[in-house]
Amino acid sequence: MRATPRFDLLRALGMLGAALLFLAGAPAALAQPAPGKASPEETCKQCHVDYFSGYARSKHGTKADLRTPANNGGCLACHGDAALEHAAKGGGRGVGGVLGFNDKKVPAQAKSEVCLSCHQGGKRIHWQMSAHAAGDVACSTCHQVHAAHDKARDKLTQTEVCFSCHKDKRAESNRPSRHPIREGKVACSDCHNPHGGAGEKMLVRDNVNDTCYTCHMEKRGPFVRTHQPVQENCAICHNPHGTTTANLLRQRAPFLCQQCHEASSHQGNIATLSVISSTGANTIARGCLNCHTQIHGTNNPSSVGNQRTFRR
Amino acid sequence: MNRDTRHAYRFTAMAASVLAAFGSAYAAEDEVADPTKPSSSVHFGLGYVDSDNSRFGQYSGLNEKGGYGLLGADVVMRDDATGRWLRFKGRDLGLDSRELRFDHQVQGNWGYYIDFSQMSRFEPFTVNTAVTGIGSSNITIPTTTTAGPATQLKTERERLTLGFDKKLAGNWEFKATFRNEEKEGARIFARGTTGSTGGLGNFEFTPEPIDSTTRQIETIVGFTGERLQLSGGYYGTFYENKHRAIFITGGNALFSGANNTINPIALPPDNESHQLHVSGGYSFTPTARGTFKLAYARATQEDNFLTAAELAPTAVAAGVPAHLGGRVDTTLAQMGLSARPMPKLSVRANLRYEDRDDKTPLFMYGAGGATWDGNNEPRSIRTTNGKLEASYLMPMAFRLTGGVDYEEKKRNTSPLRVVTFRETTEETAYRVEMRRSVAETVTGALAYIRSEREGSPFILTTVSSGAAAASGNRVAPIHLADRTRDQVRLTVNWQAAEQLSLQFRVDEARDDYDQIHVLGIGPREGRARNVAVDAGLTLSEQWQATAWASRNETEQEQWQHVGTGTAGLVWAAALKNTGDSLGLGLRGKPFQWLEVGGDLSYSDLKDEYGQQRIGGAAGAVEPLPDINTRLTRLQVFGKYALRKNAEVRLDYIYDRFKTDDWTWTSFTFLDGTTLTQEPLQKVNFIGVSYYYRFQ
Repeated sequence: MRATPRFDLLRALGMLGAALLFLAGAPAALAQPAPGKASPEETCKQCHVDYFSGYARSKHGTKADLRTPANNGGCLACHGDAALEHAAKGGGRGVGGVLGFNDKKVPAQAKSEVCLSCHQGGKRIHWQMSAHAAGDVACSTCHQVHAAHDKARDKLTQTEVCFSCHKDKRAESNRPSRHPIREGKVACSDCHNPHGGAGEKMLVRDNVNDTCYTCHMEKRGPFVRTHQPVQENCAICHNPHGTTTANLLRQRAPFLCQQCHEASSHQGNIATLSVISSTGANTIARGCLNCHTQIHGTNNPSSVGNQRTFRR
Repeated sequence: MNRDTRHAYRFTAMAASVLAAFGSAYAAEDEVADPTKPSSSVHFGLGYVDSDNSRFGQYSGLNEKGGYGLLGADVVMRDDATGRWLRFKGRDLGLDSRELRFDHQVQGNWGYYIDFSQMSRFEPFTVNTAVTGIGSSNITIPTTTTAGPATQLKTERERLTLGFDKKLAGNWEFKATFRNEEKEGARIFARGTTGSTGGLGNFEFTPEPIDSTTRQIETIVGFTGERLQLSGGYYGTFYENKHRAIFITGGNALFSGANNTINPIALPPDNESHQLHVSGGYSFTPTARGTFKLAYARATQEDNFLTAAELAPTAVAAGVPAHLGGRVDTTLAQMGLSARPMPKLSVRANLRYEDRDDKTPLFMYGAGGATWDGNNEPRSIRTTNGKLEASYLMPMAFRLTGGVDYEEKKRNTSPLRVVTFRETTEETAYRVEMRRSVAETVTGALAYIRSEREGSPFILTTVSSGAAAASGNRVAPIHLADRTRDQVRLTVNWQAAEQLSLQFRVDEARDDYDQIHVLGIGPREGRARNVAVDAGLTLSEQWQATAWASRNETEQEQWQHVGTGTAGLVWAAALKNTGDSLGLGLRGKPFQWLEVGGDLSYSDLKDEYGQQRIGGAAGAVEPLPDINTRLTRLQVFGKYALRKNAEVRLDYIYDRFKTDDWTWTSFTFLDGTTLTQEPLQKVNFIGVSYYYRFQ
């Protein structure tokens, strides 16, 4: 509930004095209230008590850390010096030129620049090259800076944020064969770095396979007998977001296998549920993997032909 | 199903199933005394699942009928004077999906955390089997078809993560993370050989035992300055498998002889990798920035082979080394530039080079054959990506973007193969997009992307005599084939009224593949379409509603040929997957002391497997039956405030899963093992919890 703004004469003079200090050339990045006058937080929270509370309880509002906005202008550190003018004019949407991160007329780049002035390092080094930056996604599009609970940073609620744009992934994540995303055990950020990176598809590692290996390291090998598409890209056969075929496969056997393999003996057989023909082995149960069980590769050194065909 | 008989009342927190079901956690900051201090909460209660199930509880652990205790906590303390934070977060405490995390930090100085996470995955099929020794390296398979008791296969992961960070002098920082994960259980696995006496072939159930340890270590030193940022470090990974192979006792007599004794079955070997990396960015000006990354990794696999004695009666080549000596070196180099040379013009350029060099030594492990020279097959791939994009701001805040993306992959190849192959593929994608992101009521984007992939000539499959294989060189593999892809994407966000927001999204992609043989077999066409509509409505200050609907379609057409030569039956598969989904949500606070809400989601999924004869030899070609799956979930909750910092919450979930999946319904392993699934599963969950907040 918004507190009733109270702009008595003393507060108005205090805000006016602060504004004059800015005009007189106070340090550009570190706007401070005039001595003895109310801090920006005290001014802003007259109307924005919820935002103030979320800020004060957060890392941003921790005064013991000298890097935080709490020690560098408070609300003004992110919302700009014009926030005081906004307050001086009585507030209201679009009044006074304050930088509002929910303002749709403010370009995403301008919003992100504020955050990047402190948070450009680490996992955000490649932000400007990322698909999200190119798509006019701002930091505030995903992050709730004033909330005690930022949905984007909680595995249980992160998908609410991502699925607001990635609708197809919303549908896929509810397919019968899936990662435990709905249960909060696997989140989008376990595989993707939404801030960008040097790898493909904004993955946390440099390529698809290395990302998959963080949980499925048994597939890495190398093996005596390797299966070429497995070593090249797990996503040739699997859709990690969810499918209707077991083991997150894009398609069931034999169709999946027939996208590469051609008939030298049985490979080109039609798919059938028949139980009286040897071709029925390529569709029901595990399909081709009923025999070719070591489909990701095998480290078996046996000198026999069916070792080469991933059967032992 | 064998059940854990300790199931009566087990402590479990709500989050994995109920909180996950409800999405956002309840905000705990409204009503506590000091608005500037972090608040904490604990909750406990009771829940009840009314039926055994394999889908609802597949990952949450709520797969058995019965009562559950509900327990969770989020305790946060901050010392304002020192910036010291202490945080304990617990979820699913007491159940297989428990999560605990403890954080301790002095903000701006140092910090550490300990995180424990547990996750179970229950196999959704009930396995009835007489195979014994499941979960161990040594299994015994009945020699004849034998019915067996129900068994629940599952895998369980326990993950412990330790993290530490320290701010160093200047703007330097050090971080270290260590993660250890233990995985145990068993999963569906099999051995087989065709050529049966009138049946499907000979397939026996050989469940794979899982008992492995995965470790990851990462240390990073970073610098964050006003213009320059750097991050470099070491990333090491280690995989250890306590099972070397599946050793089989018994089994049908058909699994005998040097070729058909599929015993033992080798399991994934231990392996490890070590990577050094450095990345950075420099802002030349406020509008021009460059980034780079360099990385070098070495992955090795030197796990000792099964011995000749263990592999007997199957032969082992003379002089087989003790282990593969597997080694893969990967080098990565990336650099990028983003700039705004004019106020309305932005450009981006990126170049990435990755060289995966498989240096595993060659050895003739086998005697070879018509399509195999007996050597192992190292796989090296060199990938080069380039991107160039320009974006111009036009009137009315429209932005026009054009870009080119290029990818080249170069692969090594083996002299003899069973699959047609090409060493190099090149794909160029041209993009044009019109976007409007800065506007009060209507924003959106329309994009068109055209990709063309081609490459080096396909390498003929040859037999050991050097002659071209009679039945090769006819299918271009799907990831290598020449392909044109057209994609269109449209997104519209419309703030129709202050209370109503609408979102509309359509994307469609069409793939056309070239064939390399007159038979025309192999992948031919693919299509994907996604349509989604979302609406958000603020009914009043107290009530909000959401609704969404989507349709997802994927189609693939591919041809095949039965048998060797070119005179056999040519047939086509027309594969289609369709999903229709919708969701409704409602949140409301009719009274100060009462909050209610609910979500309904429904998905109707259909897989179609059309098959038809195209030409060649006569033969009946029938489509496979469709597979239909319907998923319904209704979740409602009510929160009654007992006082400002305490409430009682009531949750109810109805989950329905229905399918006519035929994958296992008509199949019995030679040993008698069957897998079954209830085609209709309905689960009701009800829970009551007490929430308490404090500072």
